Amino acid sequence: MLHRNNLLKVVVIGVVVGILALASGVNSVAAEQHIRITAVLKTLANPFWVAMASGLLEEAINQGVVVEILAVPTEEEVEAQLNLCETSVLRKPDVMLVSPITSRNLLPCLREVARQGIPIVDLDGNLPLDFAKGTVLGEEDIPIKSQIASNNTQAGEIAADYMIQQIGTTGKVLVIQGLSGNITGMQRAEGFINRLKAKAPGIQVIGPFAGDWDRLKAATITADVLTAHPDLRGIYCANDTMALGAVEAVIAAGKGGQVVVIGTDGIKDARDAIMEGRLSATVAQLPYLMGVMAVQTAVKIMRGEAVPLRQDVPLLLLTKQVLEAGVDPLLKYIR
Amino acid sequence: MKEQAEERAMESRGSLIFMEDIWKRFGAVEALRGVDFEVMHGEVVGLVGDNGAGKSTLMKILTGVYAPDRGRIYVEGKLVSFKSPEDSRRLGIEMIYQDLALARKQDVASNIFLGREPLRAYLGGLVKIIDRAKMREAAQRLLDQLRIRIDSVDQMVFTLSGGQQQAVAIARALSSTIQPKLIIMDEPTAALAVKEVEKVLQLIEQLKRQHISVIFISHRLPHIFQVCDRVVVLRGGKKVGDKPIHETNMDEVVKLIIGG
Amino acid sequence: MNKMFNTNKIKSLRLSSTAIIASIRRIKQRTRDLERYVGRLETLLALILLVVVISLLTPVFLTLQNQMNVLLHVSVIGIVAVGMTFVIIMAGIDLSVGSVLALASVIAASFLKLGVPGVVGILIGLGVGALCGLFNGLVIAKGKTPPFVATLGMMGIARGLALVIAEGRSIYGFPRDFLVLGQARIGGQLPLPALVFLLVAALGHFLLFHTRLGQYTLTIGDNEQAARVTGIPIDRIKLTVYMISGTLAALGGLIFASRLNAAEPTAGIGYELDAIAAVVIGGTSLFGGQGSILGTLIGVLLVGVLRNGLNLLAVSPYYQQVAIGLALIGAVLLDRFRGVRRER
Repeated sequence: MLHRNNLLKVVVIGVVVGILALASGVNSVAAEQHIRITAVLKTLANPFWVAMASGLLEEAINQGVVVEILAVPTEEEVEAQLNLCETSVLRKPDVMLVSPITSRNLLPCLREVARQGIPIVDLDGNLPLDFAKGTVLGEEDIPIKSQIASNNTQAGEIAADYMIQQIGTTGKVLVIQGLSGNITGMQRAEGFINRLKAKAPGIQVIGPFAGDWDRLKAATITADVLTAHPDLRGIYCANDTMALGAVEAVIAAGKGGQVVVIGTDGIKDARDAIMEGRLSATVAQLPYLMGVMAVQTAVKIMRGEAVPLRQDVPLLLLTKQVLEAGVDPLLKYIR
Repeated sequence: MKEQAEERAMESRGSLIFMEDIWKRFGAVEALRGVDFEVMHGEVVGLVGDNGAGKSTLMKILTGVYAPDRGRIYVEGKLVSFKSPEDSRRLGIEMIYQDLALARKQDVASNIFLGREPLRAYLGGLVKIIDRAKMREAAQRLLDQLRIRIDSVDQMVFTLSGGQQQAVAIARALSSTIQPKLIIMDEPTAALAVKEVEKVLQLIEQLKRQHISVIFISHRLPHIFQVCDRVVVLRGGKKVGDKPIHETNMDEVVKLIIGG
Repeated sequence: MNKMFNTNKIKSLRLSSTAIIASIRRIKQRTRDLERYVGRLETLLALILLVVVISLLTPVFLTLQNQMNVLLHVSVIGIVAVGMTFVIIMAGIDLSVGSVLALASVIAASFLKLGVPGVVGILIGLGVGALCGLFNGLVIAKGKTPPFVATLGMMGIARGLALVIAEGRSIYGFPRDFLVLGQARIGGQLPLPALVFLLVAALGHFLLFHTRLGQYTLTIGDNEQAARVTGIPIDRIKLTVYMISGTLAALGGLIFASRLNAAEPTAGIGYELDAIAAVVIGGTSLFGGQGSILGTLIGVLLVGVLRNGLNLLAVSPYYQQVAIGLALIGAVLLDRFRGVRRER
């Protein structure tokens, strides 16, 4: 009995050590170890962030720098992300790229990062900026070197233009935004709604509802709204995951082909759905390009070069025609 | 006036418990039909009968869980009426259930003093802490009184044998500030090995030596015959037998239990 | 001559073997006694081993700054886990702690924005937690509802209310006297939340093993019938324990909000499971009747050190989840192998 216990303990410990040893090599790119970049992303559970991570890693290889990518398992773990950030500061990276889950949850850590003189880059625009002062809005002790993001408002506008093109200037349109309180989702939804108001005031907007970036939640919301408004003409979702959920609900309600569904992000599942004719369009962000730009920015910062405070990452409207034609230059950044 | 005379008559009987003409019905079922049941001081009475004969109903009435439809209960000659189990306990009647109602992952001392822990007050009575030292001592004393050997009162109850656990349950019955006069034991030897059964029977003898009466409910007639002074047989809600143990034998008792 | 020599040898062999058996039994008893207060010993051993291994793999781990960080990072979940320990010992469960954490922080934050002093805000937050706990306790004890269902309901109610009150956004910007709770450092180093956690754990330990509240909590979890038969006020104890859980969840939420200088209605999601994991890893039985606060403390530290180590080594978050899941299962399986009775 004693022997078996000891053996078991040794095996368990061996497994743990093994995992630690193996996994410590997993996330960093070993190249000439000059510049060390730490990227604190939201999560790796979403293809958007996985594409961004690829962009970061591959550009890091190109540039000969080291990038460590850290994230938390789900987009709700605000405290865990803060803890992660605080822990990684201790390793004294040269540059920090951050995508805070909420606009405020990383601030205590970023304050410390700034205090240590480490430059901060806002990835994907989750921090409200004071563009005059070059700091986080309301926090003068947290300077931001650059904010690299898609213009979320513009994304909503592009979707609105396409929606008007497809359904005309009257009808009902459902809007589903992201996690409650998240700036990205709110900006996309507002951009969409305001554009509709300006260009097609006859369109009735239902929502915006919070879909929490969740496929199932968006499906449920869509199903409920379709029941209340069977004459619904269009749906706009602040990300593709939710749009795909909405599509399922539309098909399940027997309205496949009668409702125009537009998503945002441009993930692979969405592109497949567009080719199959299930999803009408998506406003593709180019997270891979964002990652590339981020590493390039970090290198420029370390070289002492000036970088713009705001860098807009281009957006691309993906429809079946665009994908089939395959000529748009930005398509190479689609992952 | 009549009641006083009755009471005086009852007192002169000298019994500890006298349940007179007890009737109890549950809906369509008549559980007890005019049962008389008496226990003297320092007496061990065996209560036997088949399932449904009315043994547990009778005991539930005695311990204040039910009230009888008809009939009277006298404790040491005084007419009593139990409104709750607390009333019965206050008069020195303690019940030990078949599964002992012990908290098996807790230690012996805690189990014995469950609900009655000795306390020490601090901060002018605001904070009351369990006095474990006192509890351990008192627990050990009770177990010594019962002549039962346990390695340590800090042991978890699940580490004890069946007989030792029974002793803990009895010790709990004895730990009350009101010295119990009667302990009712429901199937105390049912699931025990032979050696453990002996221990339990010795415990009962020990209680008798301390002048505490015992009602011993059991299906195991050999055990009844080993330790009881008297045996009472119930069948179908009626008392069909009430004899001193040496005036009867197992065959007779079995016949009374089964009937016909 | 030969014969005598042999019998002596046999005698001495028999003596030494009985001595060995006796000392093994004594060691087993001592282990059991120690474990009664400290929880599963393997967890403590695993923690020590983990500390050693991680220190070897990354030198940053042992720095004072990182160690203080670890304590800070485990404070909130640790405080919640202390409350959860009581509930689980009582053979109950509280799935609402994460939501109550958020609701308490959001309500306190709202009042702080109206200008109340920090202390008042904290008291209001704690009051919210106590009320939620009271509600849980009433539904469970008086309403005779299974704890899983009752607290699952509260989980939804509290979360929904938090989102409604905060209108889905963070409430931020608190006065200095509130921020002290989450951001002060004793002696410039020890984070105040860590001190609060340790104090809560000490108080919890005291309550559990030295007061009637603790004894009755253990008894009810062990055998509720025994509690009933001995006249223990079962409903009152249940109400108190669930109120403790709610209040500690609220305390966690207040520390959370003051640390972030923001109250998020989405805070604490998943904390109930993290707390349960820490409690079980620490040696408390999910079946109730047995457990220890110190064990939970060790369980919380084990998970916290594991997370911190894997973060320092830049390991993917998914490996962290796998590791913690393995630790949880490993801990319970170890009980089986040792033949330790944690359940009936």
